[in-house]
Amino acid sequence: MKQLHLGSLILFTILLAGCYDRTELEEQSYVIAIGVDLTDKNGLYKITFQIANPEVGTSMTGSGPDEPPRETVTVEGTDIISATATANSFVSKELKLDHTKVLVLSEKFARSGDLLRAIQVSSRTKQIRGGVQIIVSKEKARDFIDNNNPKMETRPHKYYQVMLNRASEIGIIPNTDIHRFFQITEGDADLFLAPYASTEIDEKPKENGTEDGYIAGEVPQEGGSRSQFMGSAVFKEGKMIDVLTGAETRIAQTLDNTIDLSDIYSTYEDPVDPNYRVAGAFAKKQNTAIKIDYKENGTTKIDVTVPFEMEIFAIPSLTNYSQNAKNREKLRKSIEDSLTKAAEDLVKKSQEKYETEPFYWSLYVRNNFKTIQEYEKADWNKKIFPHADITITYRLETLEFGKMIDDTHLNEVRD
Amino acid sequence: MKKTSLKARELFAILTITVGFKLADTTASNYAQEGKNAFWLMPIVSFLIMIPSLLLLMYLLKKYKNKNLIQLIKKILGKHVGLFVSLIIFLVAYSLLIVDARNYADQIKILYFPESPTPIIQMIFLIVIFYGAKRGLQSIGTSTYITLPYLKISIILLALLIAQSIVWLRIFPIFGDGLGVLLLEGARRGSIFADLFIVTIAYTAFSNSKAFSKGLIFGSLFSWIEITIFFLLYTTVFDYNSIDKRAFLFHDITQYVNFGVFFTNVETFFMVFWLGAAFLRFIILIYLVSWILGETLNLDEFEPLIFPLTFFVFPLSLIAENTITNELSFRNNLFTIATPIFIFMPILLWIVAKSKGELKKI
Repeated sequence: MKQLHLGSLILFTILLAGCYDRTELEEQSYVIAIGVDLTDKNGLYKITFQIANPEVGTSMTGSGPDEPPRETVTVEGTDIISATATANSFVSKELKLDHTKVLVLSEKFARSGDLLRAIQVSSRTKQIRGGVQIIVSKEKARDFIDNNNPKMETRPHKYYQVMLNRASEIGIIPNTDIHRFFQITEGDADLFLAPYASTEIDEKPKENGTEDGYIAGEVPQEGGSRSQFMGSAVFKEGKMIDVLTGAETRIAQTLDNTIDLSDIYSTYEDPVDPNYRVAGAFAKKQNTAIKIDYKENGTTKIDVTVPFEMEIFAIPSLTNYSQNAKNREKLRKSIEDSLTKAAEDLVKKSQEKYETEPFYWSLYVRNNFKTIQEYEKADWNKKIFPHADITITYRLETLEFGKMIDDTHLNEVRD
Repeated sequence: MKKTSLKARELFAILTITVGFKLADTTASNYAQEGKNAFWLMPIVSFLIMIPSLLLLMYLLKKYKNKNLIQLIKKILGKHVGLFVSLIIFLVAYSLLIVDARNYADQIKILYFPESPTPIIQMIFLIVIFYGAKRGLQSIGTSTYITLPYLKISIILLALLIAQSIVWLRIFPIFGDGLGVLLLEGARRGSIFADLFIVTIAYTAFSNSKAFSKGLIFGSLFSWIEITIFFLLYTTVFDYNSIDKRAFLFHDITQYVNFGVFFTNVETFFMVFWLGAAFLRFIILIYLVSWILGETLNLDEFEPLIFPLTFFVFPLSLIAENTITNELSFRNNLFTIATPIFIFMPILLWIVAKSKGELKKI
């Protein structure tokens, strides 16, 4: 009996320590970014893998100090997973996609409408997670990944994580991943917004006065990394159709309750002294109220109220807003109006140009239907939304002025 | 069977593992095929259709005292018919176990060990189960009860982590593909609660029948609520067009969540608990099924049956070509067959007992 037990113990050690799925750490290389470009042939794509060097940026010293922090390879393939195998013809280690942070799509590829085919694989295998972020690059994905050479953040996985997190927190790009892409695209009612980025900066940047009226590649910049994340690519039914500026992206996100925004720093026209602009942090603490009064025959009414808070941190005109009630009221109205105006423009654009919206509003009409068939027959993006009568109100709940009670009085200083 | 010192809490734990744990396997995607975004309403239907029969069975067990499920069947239906009905119960319970076992092996393979062959995973899985089931009901009950809190904490943690991705409005249109579909398909899958009937084989082994009733009621209610809540969670995280395309909703969620920015790819953390629960679940099921067969064949000792029954799971579970056939064809059909059997068996028993006039006597 004792021998039997011993025997089974030995058997167990062999079985349980089975080595089918054993891969040593040094036999794997971790892909941080995947890029997809079009080729001349249908169904064949240029797929780029940016591989991180785990030895760089750790406290481990001594080995390979001159190794670069990343390596980028490009192969042709029909989908991402099989391309990893092709890449192994010249990359020594097994490519692992478990730690992929971003999927970069060139604008050309995104506009071709092949996106669904190429990334469908991500839900079939477990390697690419739902949390992978999608980025649309103005230039070729390969060029974008190559030019992405952050100065301060040498470890590439951290770079993408930090860059995307921060840019989406301040609202200039949407925070959207593959999971959301599938929900919206398969839901077939709304538009999907993906961050828009570029490393090719226009020589003559567009001058338009405000800080967020740009799309990537247009932001005037001196120094720093050559990659810009600004604005968003608009996807309709899995195909990119347009680009929104940073400002429009912010507005779109304030109208959408499924996206978390933290503080949006933005400037607004100074109502007292129009030569200057007032800067403040926009914060949305409550959900946007979206009421849809659905009429089967006739115009559907959509009533949207965005309650928000504003903390003013710069008044270059040095106008007294904090204590002068009249001025404050003016400022309040001016901010509300400018936001409402911007939102109305965007809604009008989406009604006329896109025929559906990037705000995920189809959710709010769904409770009017008992079954999916009825809902799909009513057709949000063809029949309801484009003809709807939409009213938008931005309501400033609280207006704060930071830790200063009053600004320096210019006339007293220059006395 | 000797009495054990198991009480209501152990039965509660056993049921939460065997029934409630279905929230984390492919049952959800099986439901979602027809239910779409309203599939979270279907377990409610499934449960409600089974509950009258379950209560009737409990009533009969109480009336006849000191008889377990099979003894009760044999007592009421007589030797030959009783044997026949018992065999059917055994076959259904065993088949459910087999398709489930394949299901779990596939999940482990596809999600965690893609290079390992399914037979090897299945074999290791079954060896562990065999050793566990050998320990006897007392150990099984106690270990289930001890591990339950940890399993539940991991599940609750997952629910909390995914909470920020929930979009409540996705439950609309409230009836998905239609109320009729929900009722019919929900009712057809009543047998996901078949384990509630199977566990009555252990009726006499518990310290007293009151403890058993208490454990059964709370265990089944808890499992049912838990399943419904998790299905609701899946609906609100995935939308109606995506939910029926995913095979492993639970694992899709574990792959999606992160503990903050630093701890990413945490699915292996949840996998440990999930695997633990899966082992326990099959240990319990194989034990109960062996017991049913032993009792059916009037064996004094049924525990020697555990080995052959575990062994035969191996070839039988590998019949299905892939996980999709197994789930959508085999398991689905089995649900349809098993549901009426478990619904009508107690009714048949009751009618016969009533006509014999035995219910008044006792």
